[in-house]
Amino acid sequence: MIQALAKTPAEEAFGISLPHRRMEEWRWTDLRRNLVKPYPPHQNVVAANKDVERLIASSPFAKLTTHRIVFLNGSLDQAHSNFAGLTFELGVPSSSAVDDPVIHLNSAIEPSGLTLRFDASMDVPVEIIHIATQGAARAMALRNRIEVGEGASATIIETFVGEGDYVVNAVTEIHVGAGARLDRVKVELESHDATHLSYIDCTLAKDAKLNELTLTSGSALNRQNGNYLFAGENANALIAGAYLLNGKQHADTRLVMDHKVPHCTSREMFKCVMDDNARGIFQGKVIVRKHAQKTDGKQSSHALLLSENAEFNAKPELEIYADDVVCGHGATAGDINHDHLFYLQSRGIPEAEAKSLLIGAFVGEAFDGIVNDVMREAMVAFAENWLTQRKAK
Amino acid sequence: MLEITNLHVKLEDEPREILKGLSLTVKPGEVHAIMGPNGSGKSTLSYVLSGREGYEVTEGAVTFKGEDLLGMDANTRAAKGVFLAFQYPIEIPGVATMQFLKVALNSQRKARGEKELSIPDFMRFVKERAAKLNISQEMLKRPVNVGFSGGEKKRAEILQMAVLEPSLCVLDETDSGLDIDALKVVADGVNALRSPDRAMIVITHYQRLLDYIVPDFVHVLSAGKIVKSGGKDLALELEANGYAEFVEKVA
Repeated sequence: MIQALAKTPAEEAFGISLPHRRMEEWRWTDLRRNLVKPYPPHQNVVAANKDVERLIASSPFAKLTTHRIVFLNGSLDQAHSNFAGLTFELGVPSSSAVDDPVIHLNSAIEPSGLTLRFDASMDVPVEIIHIATQGAARAMALRNRIEVGEGASATIIETFVGEGDYVVNAVTEIHVGAGARLDRVKVELESHDATHLSYIDCTLAKDAKLNELTLTSGSALNRQNGNYLFAGENANALIAGAYLLNGKQHADTRLVMDHKVPHCTSREMFKCVMDDNARGIFQGKVIVRKHAQKTDGKQSSHALLLSENAEFNAKPELEIYADDVVCGHGATAGDINHDHLFYLQSRGIPEAEAKSLLIGAFVGEAFDGIVNDVMREAMVAFAENWLTQRKAK
Repeated sequence: MLEITNLHVKLEDEPREILKGLSLTVKPGEVHAIMGPNGSGKSTLSYVLSGREGYEVTEGAVTFKGEDLLGMDANTRAAKGVFLAFQYPIEIPGVATMQFLKVALNSQRKARGEKELSIPDFMRFVKERAAKLNISQEMLKRPVNVGFSGGEKKRAEILQMAVLEPSLCVLDETDSGLDIDALKVVADGVNALRSPDRAMIVITHYQRLLDYIVPDFVHVLSAGKIVKSGGKDLALELEANGYAEFVEKVA
């Protein structure tokens, strides 16, 4: 029985109700309670050019991308974008049919967006960056679609940066065509006062390959949902994730691998580092439908807790209706291994530096799958910088 | 160089003493072998010297080059010149061996107020030493000790020693898990590091290693104390008669 709850100011502003902890999938992330302020959509924020340029330059990939699509405070910023050589269509793509609170909220905020098509292979990365500049508390939404055509390949970077107190809701629809390949890196480096909500609705056709990493390190409150539909045989997905959280940051990822057809492979690998009072959550569900024989689905989530007050929750779920599959999950949580630490110190490496080395090695495993060397190095450098700042505290 | 005086040590969370009044003097250039049965305190001695947490010194003192060793962090001891070759070298996933060596050497140099080595100088420095120990470039790229065989791990320990150039080397059961060919490679590596200003403490259960690393002094450790000291012939005597004599004496 669902009891109608009085609308919160945020719900009034959005015009819809928000998910709360009595909903099983939202038990650790009570959006209704945590979004206390109203975040009215479509506020006019005047952004100074120097701020926009500074925030674009703050992306870990700023120096290595030439093709860039900039969304500024929820709207496309043509002036700072470079569409040269890209096939695209402006406007929000046909809305996803998935029933999900993040998508409902996205629709309520009235997103901006575009569809990017890769009919031929493109060997340089394309960055889609969203920038929130300092301004009134507000909500912004994006809804983009990425289509990689049959046999084509592409590399997409989705970057989120900003300053101030705001909500960003980003829905990305992805279609990886037959024999196509998509390498995707998302970096969530929002303001430490922001809320970031996202949904990935991904479909993989026959022989498609998806290789992705999501780095989560910015916002105060983060919830990232994803649904990956294995719609064609021999599709293969590696979904990696890294959390670098401190203070009171909260990040919750919930992914569903939906194996509808036989012979597909899914790998989920999350490496989560939590310091101070930070809390990380990983909820991974693997569904293997009745005819999806020979599915190979594995998920693992590993947490490194750097403080006694840091917390990690893992919720693996397997829902298997086929009888000839290999599926598994593993989750670990712990602090820095003291034998490792002593070994490094016994070679002359001071404790703080030894810890940084070990944390970097731990989270670095999530970056190993990034094919593009320069992009992988950018992620390693980001982690090193995060660790240097931690050490300086 | 090293002066251990009446050292008493117990585990932090257990009342039982492991070392019960151990004394030992090691001078530069000397190689001391410490032999003893299982449970006599050999590994504890190596950990106490290298600064591992979890041990409590209840009595006695250890000075190294005239300074109080026990008051220093493990990394400070290393920078001052203490090196422990582990009986079971630790695997560290995600940290490449070459990177590890670079950070370790430069941390020590920094602690001593020396300039860090440039990357090309460092690479040359490591490659020369690695070649002598049959350590391939491929091995140096792999994470520290991960997937190394027993012999490779021990050779990697000796490589670290050769790169870090400590003044006191403590070798804890370096022969364990090695076949005779691997033992020779490791022993050659150790012997190449013998020098008038470097001392070594070779901890071993068996005499075999001492055929290859010939000590100046041999000490028998039993029930937490040195119960007999002598020259290299003492090792042969132990090999022939076993430790029974010493175990009984204490009991």
